Amino acid sequence: MALIGFPKNNVQKLRVPDLERANMSFSPQAVDPTEAFLQFLNQVERGLNLYVHSLVSSNSDAHDLLQEVRITLWKNFATFEPGTNPMAWARRIALHRILNYRRSEKRRSAFSADPEFLEAVAGEIERQSRDLDSRADRLHECLRKLPDAHRKLILLRYFDECGVDEIAQKTERTVEAVYRLVSRVRVVLQECMEKPREAAPGA
Amino acid sequence: MSLSDQDRIQRALEGLLSAEEGEQFKRDVCSDPELRADYVRALWLDAQLRADRSRLPSILEQDLPRPLPAARHDEAVQFPERRGLGWGLRWAAAVAGIAGLAFGLGKSQLLDGSVAVLVQADHCKWAGSELPTAVGSRLGPGTLSLVEGIATVRFKNGATLSLEAPTTLRVLDRMHCRLVEGSVTAEVPESAHGFTVETQDMKVIDWGTKFGVSASALGDSQVRVFEGEVEVAGTPHAAGRRLNKGQGFNLSTGTGPGDQEPLRVQTVEESGGWTSIPTSFGRGRDAYVRRGYSAVKTGGAPLLMVKHSELEASKNNERRALITFDLASVDLAPVTEARILLEPKPSGFGFPSLVPDSHFSVYGLMDESRDDWDERGMVWENLPATSDSGPDMQAWRKVGEFGMARGASGTVTISGQKLAEFLRSKKNGLATFLILRDTGESDPSGLVHAFASREHPGATPPTLQLK
Repeated sequence: MALIGFPKNNVQKLRVPDLERANMSFSPQAVDPTEAFLQFLNQVERGLNLYVHSLVSSNSDAHDLLQEVRITLWKNFATFEPGTNPMAWARRIALHRILNYRRSEKRRSAFSADPEFLEAVAGEIERQSRDLDSRADRLHECLRKLPDAHRKLILLRYFDECGVDEIAQKTERTVEAVYRLVSRVRVVLQECMEKPREAAPGA
Repeated sequence: MSLSDQDRIQRALEGLLSAEEGEQFKRDVCSDPELRADYVRALWLDAQLRADRSRLPSILEQDLPRPLPAARHDEAVQFPERRGLGWGLRWAAAVAGIAGLAFGLGKSQLLDGSVAVLVQADHCKWAGSELPTAVGSRLGPGTLSLVEGIATVRFKNGATLSLEAPTTLRVLDRMHCRLVEGSVTAEVPESAHGFTVETQDMKVIDWGTKFGVSASALGDSQVRVFEGEVEVAGTPHAAGRRLNKGQGFNLSTGTGPGDQEPLRVQTVEESGGWTSIPTSFGRGRDAYVRRGYSAVKTGGAPLLMVKHSELEASKNNERRALITFDLASVDLAPVTEARILLEPKPSGFGFPSLVPDSHFSVYGLMDESRDDWDERGMVWENLPATSDSGPDMQAWRKVGEFGMARGASGTVTISGQKLAEFLRSKKNGLATFLILRDTGESDPSGLVHAFASREHPGATPPTLQLK
């Protein structure tokens, strides 16, 4: 399961010239292919995590897929072209794994299992990637600006993973009312993240 | 009623569009660049909140009022009204437990992040665990990957879970955990009724009991009740089904009639003069067969399962594995050393505690006319030169053996002069091996051992190494 469990065998399977090429794209000092790969993974991990979560609706499936994607990245690391965008390469491999996964995903959610739809969304993520990445940094700051009640709602919805129907049942509210509040909090967060940063005092 | 695009986006995120609306939304996202751009921005935020799930309490607890004391849990908590639109939501927490959910559910999580404690982990080896693995460590949400040994986790609600390696368990919160692969046994006191162990395919909800759950990462799950009662949920095959003492339920979605494409890799020269040949190379193949299940072809499955039982109740669970390596590109005459490497993986079937340390035998096929077997068509009855009782020793030769202790993992190696001699005798460029477990079981729910096949998405396939 763990990444740590795999490199040893696979290192032996990579041809020496490929390894050298892979190393050079990150750190010429890193003679160990595992170290080179870890540098690479460190660079793409956060973006990859968000990418997979955006295209896979179930958290546990996303987690499992991320493990698989990391292994696939490792197996194919020697084919990474130096000088190209590592995140774009990681996203391509992740999308391929996600599309392969769609058959089992379909059992649970036909909505996100349509390849044409997934590819359109993935293409849009690629197009907006720079903006999305820069906004992502502001999430925590914006979460802290929420009033207490909204924070609790976010915890219920995203930490306890209650759907709006479950929250509605537990709070004896209608699904529609809870939906509107969750939706509103998300819009507020999105607006906060998309706003230009406030200038520091005195700046 | 016609929905605005923003509303459609938000409803799509919550799964609140009807099937028809959902289809229309997908079509519109594909064709309308503006809608697609808006959808992706909202989707990205949702993905961030989900990906950062375990960090949310620590981010959001800052400046949050302390949880209400228990005596005041019946007070209503009010959500603010939405400015300008005139609709508001009252957080009617008067119903028992609601305020607990809003404030108290996460009390321990919100304040110190922990929901369980690792109480025992003797002689354990861990890999890639997100959580601390020292005995006594407090565990918040996160993953434990046990590679070797048996470890015990006690949840704050009193539920105790024993993990038997190799097992990966994700702690979700004080009442939920997810078994990614491996097996656990749970003892749940009355205080924790409702405690739930999820697998990829189902949820096992406790109703006062001791039970075991096993799962493979590829979609096979099994539950067995040792005492008390559990409810199975989350699967259309057994939704709401109650199981009592002695009863079990198997769900097989991942390793049945496999149709996975094998991973093709080339033979490689390794350091120290070893040449590695995986079953995924050339004419190599691997499969397992199961007695009494010949209608189901298992040749393309990602796991090679092996089991032996002399119990009448589990006789039909007997499984044997067959692997062939393509030797055509190798000069066998100078081979002095040989070894076969197998990577054990959880099968999702059975419990290690019901099988003693196990012994396995490996046979080489001498009858070269039988080397050309069909992986996709292989079933129990046409296993080459083998009957119900075992291999025909006119056609097979025992070339090695190995043992697997309970709770042990790590790559299995079969080596020795008999193996090297057998390989040197091969003339047709193929070498076929039969893997049998010699050890039986004390209970029909005993462990099914499994090894990665060439179709496994992440693990190393059976590999022959020559020197």
